Amino acid sequence: MTAGYIQAKNVNLTFTPPNRAPVTALQEFDVAVAEREFVSIVGPSGCGKSTFLNVLLGLVKPDSGEMSIHGKRVAGPGRDRAMVFQEFGLLPWRTVEDNIGLGPELQGIPKKQRRERGRHFIDMVGLSGFEHHFPHELSGGMKQRVGIARALVSDPDVLLMDEPFAALDAQTRDIMQAELLRIWQEAKKTVLFVTHQIEEAVYLSDRVIIMTKRPGRTKSILKIPLARPRGYEMRVTPEFNELKLRIWNELKDEIDSQGGPVRD
Amino acid sequence: MDKFFEDWRRPILGSLAIICFFLAWEAILTWGIPLNKFIISKPSLIFAGLFQDMNSGLLWRDLLISGRPLVFGYVAAVLVGIPLGVVMGWRVRVGYSLDPLLTAFYASPLVAVAPLVIIYFGVGVAGKATLIFILCVFPFIFNSFAGVRSVDLLLINAVRSFGGREWDLYRIVIVPTILPFVVAGARFAIGRGLIAVLVGEFFAASEGVGYRIAFYSDMYVLDRMFGYILVIMVIAVAFTEGIRWAERTAFPWRVGM
Repeated sequence: MTAGYIQAKNVNLTFTPPNRAPVTALQEFDVAVAEREFVSIVGPSGCGKSTFLNVLLGLVKPDSGEMSIHGKRVAGPGRDRAMVFQEFGLLPWRTVEDNIGLGPELQGIPKKQRRERGRHFIDMVGLSGFEHHFPHELSGGMKQRVGIARALVSDPDVLLMDEPFAALDAQTRDIMQAELLRIWQEAKKTVLFVTHQIEEAVYLSDRVIIMTKRPGRTKSILKIPLARPRGYEMRVTPEFNELKLRIWNELKDEIDSQGGPVRD
Repeated sequence: MDKFFEDWRRPILGSLAIICFFLAWEAILTWGIPLNKFIISKPSLIFAGLFQDMNSGLLWRDLLISGRPLVFGYVAAVLVGIPLGVVMGWRVRVGYSLDPLLTAFYASPLVAVAPLVIIYFGVGVAGKATLIFILCVFPFIFNSFAGVRSVDLLLINAVRSFGGREWDLYRIVIVPTILPFVVAGARFAIGRGLIAVLVGEFFAASEGVGYRIAFYSDMYVLDRMFGYILVIMVIAVAFTEGIRWAERTAFPWRVGM
């Protein structure tokens, strides 16, 4: 494996929940992502794919393994990475504007500059006019737009996305996927995207990493050679379905033997 | 007119009920049952008596006498109760240790210890303030405790992921989470504080609202006694509504919750 922009090698992590047997979440897990690449990780529920994002984010320390971003070792949270959370993680007592200003605020940037920087990203995610709304006044899709803007505003090199659209209804999810592609092309970020939806992974990604069931390891990596920009029509082409089927066939064994939930 | 009634129907209907209550009270004792001043009074006499106590300055002096220990005891309850509740919520072992003991105290009618408190701390401000503190501190402890327990770990993680440190977690997540809980506790504590003032002064005092109520009652001056009770009711409602109003203005995000 060649050295990538995001490089994780031999990552091992075992949890020991109180009064439970230890759980090996990640075993000798390797990932390499190129700059400005869009890579998805798919795998059965509980395979450790979300855990890996938390490790890369710096919130969870692995037992062993080497991780670096642009040659810089990962040791705790840093400005070069930002996460978009599945359940949004917005502060209910803050307006859209102030939620988006969280990262800059923690970097000590004065309020006026935070607002100015935030405005650009509020426009980018299509939330103009909602600056002073509170999260409870927004729909699920709009909440996640805030989550994306909040991640982008600190200008991170890497965007980590942990099943960001799993909490949305199907139509909103379709719209948000298209929006994400547009934003990704505009913001020029490296994206590592965790999902359990095969179609989503194929539609969005340059490459898809397929994980085994727990303990999570890389089972195979699939290139998605579909042209960009990608429209909704692409989803009904034979090539697209061919790719979906190949991923499904890889995943099937992992899911069947576990009897876990399957969603597409 | 319809629009006006629509907007104001809550206060209008509420006030109407209060006015009807007083009118009915007055009417029954004027035309219905003959008034026996030793066991009951009626609104016209009560308000007349109340004005006399206002004009003589007696009411204001009593309010000042009772108000001081209330402020001291209540502020002490805030200062002790909130930090204790937060520590109990944040440090699991402290919570497990103190929860049963404090719950037992909270559940029991603590006014029962009023005579002891008066013996230990005297009939002055110190004794009353202590009694008020004992009654008021528990809502603050338990509501901050519940507040910390309800902190959303996802928010903690989000703030940490953007570089937030321990202090930022308190400032950005924990304090805003527990504030509504504390305010709810504050509202509850007001009621308990007023009980403590009255009970403290019933037992031993020579001045103050509680003393005056007991005194008027002993003297069978019931119109004056009812006047003081009315004042206490108004104060209680003013405090509770004031806190509720502050809650709505300070936590607009709660409206949708």
